Amino acid sequence: MLSALAHVEAMETLEVVHQTEFRHRRLSGRPLVIIPLTMAGEAGAPLAAMVGTAKRDMTLLVVPQPRNRDQRFTFAAELGQIVMRYIDSYRQDRRGDGERSHYSDAPQILVPNHGGIKALADLGRMCRFRSASGPYAVPDVVPEFGMWLTFLVDTSEQAGTSMLMPVTAMLSEHWATGQSTLEDQNLASLMAWIAPPDGLSVEQALADAENPDICPPAGPATSPEFDNRHLAPAIQRFDAAHTLGDPHDLATAQAELRDLVAEQVKPTWRMMWTAISLLRSVPEAPRTAKRFERDCVSFTSYSDYRDAGGFPQRKRDTAIGAAQRLSRLERALADFEADMAFDDPFVLADRRSAGEAFAGTVEESVPGRMVTTAKNRRVPRPYVTLRTDDPVRLAAGTKLISPSMPAGHKAVIASVHPDGDTTLVTVEVTGGMGRSRTPNPGTVPEPGQRLAYLPDPGWRPTPVFPASDHTPWTHSPGPDEPDTDSAVPEDAAAEEWGHED
Amino acid sequence: MKAPVDDRLAALRGSAKRRPYNARSLAALENNPRCTLRALLDASGSDKAAIAEHAGYPSPFGQSAFAFARGNAFEAMVKDNGCAELLRVLRETLKLTLPEVAYLDLNDVGGDGSNETRRDRTAEVLLQAAQGTGDGTLFDHPMLYLEVGGQEAFLEPDLVAFRIDGRFYIVEIKSFPIIDGQADPAQVRSATTQACAYVIALRALLEEAGIGPEAVSDTVVLVAPKDFTNRPTAAFVDARKQVSALTRQLARLERISDLVDLLPEGLTFDLDIDKDDKRPRRPAEELAEALEQVPATYRPDCLNHCEMAYYCRARARAEASLDVLGPAVREQLGGIDTVTMALGLARGQLTPTADQSDMAAALRHAARLRAELTGEVGGAA
Repeated sequence: MLSALAHVEAMETLEVVHQTEFRHRRLSGRPLVIIPLTMAGEAGAPLAAMVGTAKRDMTLLVVPQPRNRDQRFTFAAELGQIVMRYIDSYRQDRRGDGERSHYSDAPQILVPNHGGIKALADLGRMCRFRSASGPYAVPDVVPEFGMWLTFLVDTSEQAGTSMLMPVTAMLSEHWATGQSTLEDQNLASLMAWIAPPDGLSVEQALADAENPDICPPAGPATSPEFDNRHLAPAIQRFDAAHTLGDPHDLATAQAELRDLVAEQVKPTWRMMWTAISLLRSVPEAPRTAKRFERDCVSFTSYSDYRDAGGFPQRKRDTAIGAAQRLSRLERALADFEADMAFDDPFVLADRRSAGEAFAGTVEESVPGRMVTTAKNRRVPRPYVTLRTDDPVRLAAGTKLISPSMPAGHKAVIASVHPDGDTTLVTVEVTGGMGRSRTPNPGTVPEPGQRLAYLPDPGWRPTPVFPASDHTPWTHSPGPDEPDTDSAVPEDAAAEEWGHED
Repeated sequence: MKAPVDDRLAALRGSAKRRPYNARSLAALENNPRCTLRALLDASGSDKAAIAEHAGYPSPFGQSAFAFARGNAFEAMVKDNGCAELLRVLRETLKLTLPEVAYLDLNDVGGDGSNETRRDRTAEVLLQAAQGTGDGTLFDHPMLYLEVGGQEAFLEPDLVAFRIDGRFYIVEIKSFPIIDGQADPAQVRSATTQACAYVIALRALLEEAGIGPEAVSDTVVLVAPKDFTNRPTAAFVDARKQVSALTRQLARLERISDLVDLLPEGLTFDLDIDKDDKRPRRPAEELAEALEQVPATYRPDCLNHCEMAYYCRARARAEASLDVLGPAVREQLGGIDTVTMALGLARGQLTPTADQSDMAAALRHAARLRAELTGEVGGAA
């Protein structure tokens, strides 16, 4: 409700409204920005990419004839080298001993939007099964690059990770605009709200943002007008020069194509770095560091897997693999949402306005209440009653954590009673009071104290799934279906991608 | 006395050539069935793109020459040599046992390509096949028609219908890829919507001859490039839900005649195109006034498929309508239509109606929480 209201306010004032206090995503000190462009119509046909770790240090790679197979692989190898050099620079400094050690830092690739991630996913899919030897040999880096891209794309599906992110998602998490989610995915429109160019009103900047002549799309698709007016003729000239074989004409045609594509991608490149410095000005949320450590662990474990010559990721998950992935994603989402609410009063308030959390003043406290556990131990279980204005929708029995209490504080709702316009919530404090029979000072809320509670995403054991050779028959592929057990399809290296010359 | 519906629709369109329903207007039908402006423009066969442009909101639905070429090349390849590739895919991928195949192109009927002639020829051939007296298996470019809001709309699918075991199947040929057995859900959905319209139209045609709906399968066959190649693969798409949803929408669709009756006499969207320089002679302000007489239901999603969307968005913005923010916000603020109302209630400056009292309390509460955080005063008591 609070964030809905923020969008409404933004619409009224034509100015962005903060909807979080913090930036909940880690922003690397040296992110690698990639802007992938693809060719319309063709599936997974790279047209170009601008890539680099600083605003003034970029490389533009262009595929002059995106339909051509060899040119696609040349592109994949060049981009692969840049990306792998970047990734490898994070595989140096390892902390800790033995099996539990991990790299102290992790890469971060930033793309403009979700489409950019899809383009990298397609590229990863096309590269990871290739072979560096045999009849369809490609450069060594191609399959390696494909596997790493696939790994990064997989992590990006998991809430709270930071190794591959669309910048639009990071921006719109913090700033609420007066436009729809759909329009927020357009980097130029989003930036028109957050930081309109000098001398322009938000309205003017918005109109410009949707004009492909002023703000070319941030990719991966190029504007149809650009395709028809400029790109198609330039590719034709390149093809003609290629057929005739005149090296001078070929170089001219190639240079012309590069210039054309550069003009299309440069505005987005500049905007990406403006967006990054804006994001840097937002303070990072406290729990981001802890989530980042998990990124480092997963980066290390994949890096070790690669070092040991592991297989490329499957085309499709097996039944068990899919169940594991789903469980991991759900878990990560619940944790991330709780983390955000715990760290950020704005996010907490948003959840309070929806009744998913509450805050109030302690009216009554029974700090001396003791209960006997099943193991026949006497333990303190104080009752605390709060009065809140929030529309509480949590039921008795809900486990709670509190950002207002010392770490480790846990409670469970004992009862919820509406009282006029307010609600009385009684909670039983169950943890964070120390080990003695009387709670440590300051661990039980006292009358008059203001505090907030939100549901505890809780610790859950990692679910146990059957081993892959014990897949229940209901989830096994039938005899007619392709054998999903083989991780690397036999003919993968020969798979068509584009056209033979 | 008012003119009959057809005349009024013709008057709305004015001097322009009638435009048939196409993939985009069908998608709009499913995505936004309640939009009066869209319903009238489509039913009258008006050129939405030209109207939007003249009203000052050119539609951005240009198609890239690359996509166009690829789509055409793919379709041609699949249908080449009497649909040889299509048959291979149906047999190998979908494991269909197609016996002797007879291919019939219904595209052109002895040089007469008019819609009516083609429709009659389609009906004749398909009815014969359904009754077991014809010998066709594959039917290319059938001409079907569908009743939309009480008006007959021609559908010119570039599809093939084939008949196996006494049932017709609709085949949609699309150039988006099926990668590792999965395709983009949004694109599959829009392809299925189109196919559903054809299923319904074909069933209607057979029904006239007393043949039941089971003669047309509601499983459609999607033919699309496999992975990153140009070779086709195929998949069955279960369209049962979408067929019944579209049937329901068509049935519920307010009758065009009812909509037309509400319009002021003499309303037209005619652009009065100059015969020589092909430019509209009608003043843009006059067109804008005409458009404003008709209610529109804007959703951000319209930007993806309706030519009028930018015009409607500007209108929604001018009215400070919450439609601008999209369904996520709208659903949270159920029953509140405008920014003015939402903020007025949140700030306690407006008195809520009985229906709004719960929402108003929630808004005031949210505003108070925000005010506490931002340190602003004025978040209501």
